[in-house]
Amino acid sequence: MAELPHIIRGVDHVAFPTFDPAATVAFYRDVLGFPVVHSICAAGWGPERHPDFIHFFFDIGNGDRIAFFYYFGFEPPRGGSKGDVYARFDDDAPNFFVTSRHLALHVDSEADLLEYRRRLDNSRWPVELQLQHETIESIYTHDPNGYFFEITRALRPVTPPEDLDANLTVDALVEVVGGPDVSMAALLARKAELIVERAAGWEPAKR
Amino acid sequence: MTTHRIGLVVPSSNVTVETELPALLRRHPAARFSFHSSRMRMHTVSAAALAAMNAQRERCIMEIADASPDVILYACLVAVMVGGPGEHRRVEGAVAEQLATGGSAALIRSSAGALVEALHAVQATRIAIVTPYPRPLAEQVVGYLESEDLAVADWRALEVADNAEVGCIPGERVLEAARSLDRTGVDALVISACVQMPSLDLVDAAEQEFGIPVLSAATAGAYSVLRSLRLPVAVPGAGSLLRADTTSVPA
Amino acid sequence: MTQLFMLDVPENTPIVAVADQDPAITVDRVGPYFRIASDTPIVIDRRATGCRHAVWYSSVAGLMRSRITQWDKDAMRIEPA
Repeated sequence: MAELPHIIRGVDHVAFPTFDPAATVAFYRDVLGFPVVHSICAAGWGPERHPDFIHFFFDIGNGDRIAFFYYFGFEPPRGGSKGDVYARFDDDAPNFFVTSRHLALHVDSEADLLEYRRRLDNSRWPVELQLQHETIESIYTHDPNGYFFEITRALRPVTPPEDLDANLTVDALVEVVGGPDVSMAALLARKAELIVERAAGWEPAKR
Repeated sequence: MTTHRIGLVVPSSNVTVETELPALLRRHPAARFSFHSSRMRMHTVSAAALAAMNAQRERCIMEIADASPDVILYACLVAVMVGGPGEHRRVEGAVAEQLATGGSAALIRSSAGALVEALHAVQATRIAIVTPYPRPLAEQVVGYLESEDLAVADWRALEVADNAEVGCIPGERVLEAARSLDRTGVDALVISACVQMPSLDLVDAAEQEFGIPVLSAATAGAYSVLRSLRLPVAVPGAGSLLRADTTSVPA
Repeated sequence: MTQLFMLDVPENTPIVAVADQDPAITVDRVGPYFRIASDTPIVIDRRATGCRHAVWYSSVAGLMRSRITQWDKDAMRIEPA
């Protein structure tokens, strides 16, 4: 397959609805210190019936932004008792699934992570969990809209062999989900075959 | 024949845009237009009053877009130009974003941008202009045009700060100011760089008298609207700018 | 023959080191992976590795004709499939 130039430049904005703009501003701007960088006041002029709304943006670093929509006079659609203002689930929905969709923001150091921990702990939205994974350490909370929110730091840089390993995992996964046995065991077996096929000839990237 | 809806965002005391633009476009041989305005409160042409007026832009766009116009003309030239070089692009961009975010298909143009567009369309490089403004604002207009690769050889500021009065400046006074300009090496003349100072009846005669293209903020606005809608620029009796496509309009 | 692969990254080296101590286990390399193999089932004691849970449970990159019959806080056991 011909090389596709990778010219995309990150997140222009990731957007969510909110029903409480005051609390959203308090959380992102006042507690976390993410500056408000843009806003648009508009109505629904297209074919769908649509209330007047404000679309507002906070900077989340690297020129990336998180944006919210606030629709005047719009009631949230009815849903279950779990989840956030966008996606509601019934009581029996497993928590691992409910929190699977989340935004994780990056900091460079332990000191920076602890600084955001301090800001959250001094607010109405204290850190709910602090975890170390294999190569990252993270703090978690829910924002005023119920969106699950993570700030994370890398314990060490990702290495080129991990890129290879990730690609093997993904290739094995795509194959396995199209096959008869869709399971972790099948994935690890297929991945082992791919390791033998491809990893032996793999050249480490120049450091 | 479809009627093209033109949205106008005008200073509240402006009467000339809503007079001259329909008068011009009514002459179009092949297209029909309707005009719909929203107003920004403004009486005094001063820097502070213009800033306060600009603050109403979002509300005015909200209101006018409800009418589903085909194109919106943000019709206060000096209010944009006091924002500094390139301001019309920033304003038009912000309005375009506001419209697009709400799913409106309306196009946006501004009088300030239209004047620049029209002067480039007649390939002007060295111009002379008549403005009704107090001198400091007139200087900003001159500076703005110069930042758009136009040399302003000479200019007049009639120093009328009350916008309602600007709407009543007699044609003779405008023409007298135009005649007083040093037109050496000038390849286009802007007889009214203001959408409130009436000049429509003067444009064609002045062009014949001076022998160079004569534009006004109004004729430039009409030009920009027609180009945006991809309609032939074929409006008689208002200068050569608006006859750009005259020979190509089917009978 | 029991075979599994582990990526050569700093978190995994203590696990590979513990496996390597077992005379029945051979450890060699395939590209950036360690290949851990034995004619008999492979058992690795977690506490001996000093590994955190997050690392322990993500350490296996691939299984060659083998399956994991135990993988908990005490040990991992891999047998031929």
